[in-house]
Amino acid sequence: MAHHHPPMDLHLEYAAGALPVAQSACVAAHLSYCQRCRQLVDRLEDVGGAHLERLDPQPVGESVLESVMARLDDPEPLRYAPNEASDTQLPGLLDRLINGDYADLVWKRVTQSLSISYLKTGDPSHEFALYRIAEGGRIPEHTHGGSEMTLVLRGGFADESGEYHPGDFLVREGWDKHTPVALEGEECICLAVLDAPLRFTRLRHRWLNPLLKLRAG
Amino acid sequence: MAINNDVGKAPAANGNGKWNVPTGRRTDEWSEALVLVGESQDRSAFTRFFRHFAPLIKAFALSGSSLSASHADELVQEVMLKVWQKAGGYNPEKAAASTWVYTIARNCRTDMFRRLQKFDTPLASDDFELESEEEESFVVLHTRRGAERVRELMGDLPPDQAQILAKVYMEGKSHSEAAAELDLPLGTVKSRVRLAIQKLQGLMEA
Repeated sequence: MAHHHPPMDLHLEYAAGALPVAQSACVAAHLSYCQRCRQLVDRLEDVGGAHLERLDPQPVGESVLESVMARLDDPEPLRYAPNEASDTQLPGLLDRLINGDYADLVWKRVTQSLSISYLKTGDPSHEFALYRIAEGGRIPEHTHGGSEMTLVLRGGFADESGEYHPGDFLVREGWDKHTPVALEGEECICLAVLDAPLRFTRLRHRWLNPLLKLRAG
Repeated sequence: MAINNDVGKAPAANGNGKWNVPTGRRTDEWSEALVLVGESQDRSAFTRFFRHFAPLIKAFALSGSSLSASHADELVQEVMLKVWQKAGGYNPEKAAASTWVYTIARNCRTDMFRRLQKFDTPLASDDFELESEEEESFVVLHTRRGAERVRELMGDLPPDQAQILAKVYMEGKSHSEAAAELDLPLGTVKSRVRLAIQKLQGLMEA
């Protein structure tokens, strides 16, 4: 069970369809772990339903009804079938983006214990990437130029403010400086959604910063 | 379950800024129609449903005025076709018909915006919906009561909070976009949303 959840205002923007696709996917992935947040989002969608009921109805021509009636017998569009062979036990949405196993992804090695794999969401302003940290491995101290959402998918990590396990969701703002360390016993894989690149703060890691240029899309 | 027998009341959409809390009976009429569509592909129930919801979906498409009238009609068609195709998965114990339609309309509008902007994404909004799983019965009960309370709460929000929620929900605007359009500082928008949320949250935890 997840112990760290998205803040209410993110849930509200999610329910209102106001989040960019990369952030929306990250919140949706948390929901697949968390019944508490699913119920919250259901209530926030009721707010949308209540607004819809209250709009001033706009006239719709009979021809629109007729063309819908004429299409009722059309075959339904094909839907994506869950990947049965996958053993990642991931939320369906991520399973689809990863399309196979973690091992099949292209991993870019940043430090000895950190590799990053970039996934395509089409979001023009957010990077959507998996961070893989070796067990007990450390991500060098860093800040963010913007906001970062993190969702733990496998293993876990700890930082200055707590310990995080699969399903846990964190939001960090630019000024937070932190040094995540993967827990012992298992490698840690997290989803991270960024709107500005990470910046390593220690002198001996700063030369790596150009490697971390934001890869949105 | 609270049953409101006040069926003679005028419908909610009066546009004068007041919320008429929809009656339980009225909501049931539309969930019953949806169940008929889902279980027996009842075309006359679907037509009734269309006549009620299509004008609301069109209003939803036109709010924020970013879609043309012809795109709004196209959205109405897409949403209503999805209603027909997905009605079999509708569970009246879990969601009000208006909430269910709202989520379909929201998803179709998002996809339409992305198509119009030639936004290339491998994800369709439907991919975000979770596979429906069996919920514990106490959760379902909680859900129904919660939905009724959300409606009641909407009627009690001060106008400045209601205005922002409407902007975010009906126009799909982020807090910062809403702030720019209403010519308000972002902090003001966020604090109004937060106040509205606190009321919702109190209600959800009650």
